Amino acid sequence: MAFISELTGRPVTDFDGTQIGVVKDLVARSYKEFTHPVVDAIVVHGKAGDRAVPYSDLAALLSAAIPLKRPAASIPAYEFGENDIRLVDDVLDKQILDTDGARVVRVNDIELVRVNGNVVVSNVDIGMLGILRRLGLEKLGRWTAKRFNTDLAVGSISWEFVEPLIHDKSMRLKVPVEKLAELHPSDIAEIISDLSRAEHSDLLHKLDIKQLADTLEEVEPDFQADLLEHFTDEKVADVLEEMSPDEAADLLNEFSPERSQDLLKLMETEEADEVRELLRYDEDTAGGLMTTEYVSVFPDMTAAETIDHLRKVGEDAELVYYVYVTDNQEHLIGVFSLSDLIVAKPDTPILEFMHKRVVSVELDTEQDEIAQIVAKYNLIAVPVVDAEGRIHGIVTSDDALDKILPTAWKKRLPHFFGALE
Amino acid sequence: MMEKLILMRDRWAATPWVRQAVVLFSVFGPATIAAMADNDAGGVATYSIAGATLGYPILFLLFIITPLLGITQEMGMRLTLVTRRGLADLIREKYGVKVSLFIFLGLFIANLGTITTEVSAIRTVSGMLHIPVWPFVVIMLLIAFAFITKGNYKLTQSIMLIVSLFYLTYIISAAKANPDWGLAFSNLFYPHGVVWTQQYLVSYLVIGMGVLGTTITPWGQFFISSFAFDKKIDKDTLKYSQFETYWGAFLTDFFSFFMIVATASTLFVRGIVLTSGEQAAEAIRPFAGDLAGTLFAIGILAAAFMGLVIVPLSTAYAFSEFFGLSGSLDSDYQKSKTFYILFIVQLVAAASITAIPGISLFHFAIATQTLNAMILPLVFFYLIKLTSSKKIMGEHANNGFQKNFTTIASVFIVIASAFTVIAVVFKW
Repeated sequence: MAFISELTGRPVTDFDGTQIGVVKDLVARSYKEFTHPVVDAIVVHGKAGDRAVPYSDLAALLSAAIPLKRPAASIPAYEFGENDIRLVDDVLDKQILDTDGARVVRVNDIELVRVNGNVVVSNVDIGMLGILRRLGLEKLGRWTAKRFNTDLAVGSISWEFVEPLIHDKSMRLKVPVEKLAELHPSDIAEIISDLSRAEHSDLLHKLDIKQLADTLEEVEPDFQADLLEHFTDEKVADVLEEMSPDEAADLLNEFSPERSQDLLKLMETEEADEVRELLRYDEDTAGGLMTTEYVSVFPDMTAAETIDHLRKVGEDAELVYYVYVTDNQEHLIGVFSLSDLIVAKPDTPILEFMHKRVVSVELDTEQDEIAQIVAKYNLIAVPVVDAEGRIHGIVTSDDALDKILPTAWKKRLPHFFGALE
Repeated sequence: MMEKLILMRDRWAATPWVRQAVVLFSVFGPATIAAMADNDAGGVATYSIAGATLGYPILFLLFIITPLLGITQEMGMRLTLVTRRGLADLIREKYGVKVSLFIFLGLFIANLGTITTEVSAIRTVSGMLHIPVWPFVVIMLLIAFAFITKGNYKLTQSIMLIVSLFYLTYIISAAKANPDWGLAFSNLFYPHGVVWTQQYLVSYLVIGMGVLGTTITPWGQFFISSFAFDKKIDKDTLKYSQFETYWGAFLTDFFSFFMIVATASTLFVRGIVLTSGEQAAEAIRPFAGDLAGTLFAIGILAAAFMGLVIVPLSTAYAFSEFFGLSGSLDSDYQKSKTFYILFIVQLVAAASITAIPGISLFHFAIATQTLNAMILPLVFFYLIKLTSSKKIMGEHANNGFQKNFTTIASVFIVIASAFTVIAVVFKW
């Protein structure tokens, strides 16, 4: 086991023992069948500038001095491959994506191990110990950690879970989709907010429409629009269809009126109509926050019929935990929860177990007030009705509380400035 | 019908002047804060002593400091807009751990000095308002700690407001004190109107460094990037943020100008050597009359509190950028634990330093702000290098003027620092 911080600066000696330079960088090559890249060459910094020497021409790498196997003059220049990673230039001190922990972290050191005559990149060190090693204080660090009985200083990630984010170049993810698919959309959103423009644009293009929509719902609308800047209108329209109508409406508000109209035309008629309905209302009122994907039933249905109905329509609804009861003019007359429904006997009519006093808000109720109502009555969602008591949609608690609990994107600024945005 | 409504709603927001106003204000909020925070308690103390000791000729420095402040802040902003990385991030990525540690230590020491000045101002206020010192200091530190960790926008706003009103009292006082405006304004362009004794020259050098260090701060260079992070980069944003940083710089020094004129026209002309808060308060007597002492106490308290909140925060954020704090510690809890420890260390250390007997706010302010100024060239060196790099900045790299002006200024600061050290050590 060795660390790259210890290898750099070590002398490289020619066949006859004269020093030709010092180690400046290590080049590692990734292979499809192996999760860890293998050191394939070293970059030697000498009087005549930098040159890359293939690993196969080194007599030893993990040693105090690095001797060459044959005269330096006879060694052909190393040819860089497409999957080569310069460990110092591209990885050390840079931010990487830890796909296991779903976070962006900084690399303090890189760990190498010898496997069957090759040197393989095993882990990246992201702990305090890595920093102390770079400063020549590793022993002090270990001693302190032991003394205070803490392993805070130690931290490493197996290369298996490392995605290098190569700056100044467009990022090429190795196996992005498989790894990313396992992440929660919130985690992807968090990662994106840590990345630079070029980096996140590549990442977003790798996601499928469903993931993209889910991820976008986790960030603020103005940032959503920013992220989608380089997507074609067709793709944006697909994403809008996949998003819940309230989120889609918020996003459309961020675009210019012309583009917003174009996008609506590209969307499926049904979805576009739902979004248009929501666009009529101010973003910060119940009308703007609500989703139209709720479940409603008629009072003359029985519990068993309702459960059958839910099986059919539940897929499209944003929330099925509350079922709203309306008359045939859509007037809201009751509500019951899934637990009410399951506890009721199969042939009981809804009228017998629904709650008739429904807490609701009006289309123009402000977000603050909705948040208070949601908190006061411990609701998961609150129905939105017009002046005649007709239901138009529901505001889910996360949308209502959004303003009070900002999403991942806002975390970056010191929080007492957050409100100034 | 529906489509018409959409168009109407958006058209209003799409009106050019509305859009511009929105962009401008969204950019202005944070920049005004940064500009205001530059004039913290250390700033007020430094400008007071500058005006009282040197009179109008020190105004000449503002003429050079203002563009330097604007240009360096703009560099920091542009750097983050283009790379979406903070100054500390980039120093770490391009120059490694050792350079990072070196600069962080410099920043830490400078910030600790500034925080100590704020605590020292709180002690001065307790004396002026006849409140027992230690209970008052401890309470203020506890409030500051709670404020840093919890945050409160309303309170932030109120404190900013008090501080701005406090600055306004200087403008009115300066006007009412019947200063020699001709002399004041001409001194902006060349220093004159005093006898240039050796003692005056040495004071000018040392206090001038203090004025520089309190106006352009190392922490300010790291702090500016946190405002640029979330912004979109396009030509317009770049233009606006450029305008915004220049305006912020102007605003900062606009207030500094009147603070110096007010103290110069009340204290300097009467030959009062500034040693106490009561004397410093004389500068706003033309406006506040007998309330001057109380008003000064409240104003400088608010200014001190502001510094006490922002400066430790900038240390913590720079630490996390330099050393990837969030990465080395797994949970948010661990991260905030390290943040808390950093805050507590800074606040307690600052309070302990002020306990050393014989430290006067005004002399201490000059010392710490001079230290700030001496660390500046170090920060500028990397800032200029990074922002001049075509590889990093592409088409947004520095132009010749930006690069040359800041480089020459840095060289001058290094020379002035050397002279200041010599002057202090050999007691010129």
